[in-house]
Amino acid sequence: MKVLGIETSCDETAAAVVDEQLHVHSSIIETSLDEHRAFGGVVPELAGRAHVVTISSVVERALIQAGLDPHHPDIDAIAVTSGPGLIGSLLVGLAAAKGYALAWNKPFVGVHHLEGHLFAPLLETPNLPWPMLTLLVSGGHSMLVLQSGPGEHEILGETIDDAAGEAYDKVARWLGLGYPGGPAIDKLAQGGNAKALSLPKSMSGDSYDLSFSGLKTAVVRATEKQSDLAIEDVAASFQGAVAEQLLRKVRQALEKNEVGALSLAGGVAANSALRHGIAELAKEFGIPALLPTMEMCTDNAAMIAAAGLYRFQHQGASPMNLSANPNWQLVDVS
Amino acid sequence: MTILFIETATTTCGVGLMVAGVADTLIVDRNRNHTEFLTDGIQSILSSHGLTTQDLTKVVVDRGPGLYTGLRVGIATAIGLANGLGIDLVGVTSLEMLARGAFDEGVRGDYVGLIDGRRGEVFAQHFLLNGHVEPLADPLVATPAEVIEQVKGLSSLTLGGDGVAKYLEQFQLLSNATLMPLEIPPLEAGLKLGAEAQVDGAVVPLYLRDPDAVANFTTREQR
Ligand SMILES: [Zn+2]
Repeated sequence: MKVLGIETSCDETAAAVVDEQLHVHSSIIETSLDEHRAFGGVVPELAGRAHVVTISSVVERALIQAGLDPHHPDIDAIAVTSGPGLIGSLLVGLAAAKGYALAWNKPFVGVHHLEGHLFAPLLETPNLPWPMLTLLVSGGHSMLVLQSGPGEHEILGETIDDAAGEAYDKVARWLGLGYPGGPAIDKLAQGGNAKALSLPKSMSGDSYDLSFSGLKTAVVRATEKQSDLAIEDVAASFQGAVAEQLLRKVRQALEKNEVGALSLAGGVAANSALRHGIAELAKEFGIPALLPTMEMCTDNAAMIAAAGLYRFQHQGASPMNLSANPNWQLVDVS
Repeated sequence: MTILFIETATTTCGVGLMVAGVADTLIVDRNRNHTEFLTDGIQSILSSHGLTTQDLTKVVVDRGPGLYTGLRVGIATAIGLANGLGIDLVGVTSLEMLARGAFDEGVRGDYVGLIDGRRGEVFAQHFLLNGHVEPLADPLVATPAEVIEQVKGLSSLTLGGDGVAKYLEQFQLLSNATLMPLEIPPLEAGLKLGAEAQVDGAVVPLYLRDPDAVANFTTREQR
């Protein structure tokens, strides 16, 4: 069984072909990031416009790269992100997926974007020891998820305010580092002293919930008070505080739950401090750490195809009148 | 030639099918539910003729101007369908459709097509309908008052489209105009224009406005 995946929930236009062994036959990703840079964040209308221009070539390249005839592809279903995300962007992928489904007379499946992220580590590491604990951190989401098997997830905790990636972007903007903020701060932090600023410890209680808004405010206040702080030190201190909170929550979860593997997912999974910390924690608990490659951390369609394949095998196709749901919650996926 | 036409530029969603030069049309939905019902509409019009998507030879889509989200849904569906099948995809404009529809109904002389553009504005284009449909200007964005100012000096003209319906009270004050309020550009006109049109690169929406962020950014830079 082969599935064509399509992802357009934010600024990436992506298509991929994945089979039931979760082997990735192709994965094409185009991004409109450069168009958004000047605005300090993704501009929904620009993203929507870019998807319309890019979608057909991305899908065609994914099919050809997978060795399939773009007009009669030997696939069994089309999986497409139907939420959450930017409504104007989601609708382009969804409408195109329906068009392809009509053309080839194939079933189509709406996929939850975050369930896609949860499948990403599986694409690179088959035969995992379940259950698995996943720290899912991106520009839009931050949560700690316990998975008893593929497609079976329990959210242990999530951010009560900003997503981790959002906090990175806001601090980067404050420091004049441009957008997106994650890679810029990560790079500066390498040469800085993480103890230069004493930032408050967030969410010290027993819950697994996360919070980054206070941290961002603390950075702003500290730099206003002390204008001679080295930017590298600010970056290192902020990055250290974000990682400290995330890793503390992961440790708490590992202590309370028996898991076979620890994984990292979402765009912020590219962060070096986080990758290092997760690897160390996994070693300490004697379990494998799944650290996806950059391409699997950020938005891609292979993860959507994988999640769609699972949903299609277990629940069948979605109705053709499926609409996009920009606020679809992961807890409502079952 | 078996041509499918897709219309999503206004709040009403429609499809058309031309088989051997004979046109059939179907209004799918009137409440902006293009995402939900467009594919149903395509399937029903095809099956009512005993056809499937495999029988199609060309896909034609209204690329606006009109409501952005609707346009993108219609165009993305058309892209998936035509590229999936490996057949021709062409775009026509909603304003050309209005003019062609009026021409086919026997309207002659000055004609202005008006599509509701929201935010108190319409998308407008001035045509001359004589032996054929001749555009006299490029499509533009204007307030109803600006349109009225432009056309009040003409001896007579016809105004058509959902922009007329939206601002009926204002346009009724024009003593020289015949009004043809329409909820949707005429689907049959879309099929005819599409049948004549040649493939001309990728089909993208005709937006006529810059995205808000870009517009704001430009003004800020200029200050
Ligand atoms: Zn994502």
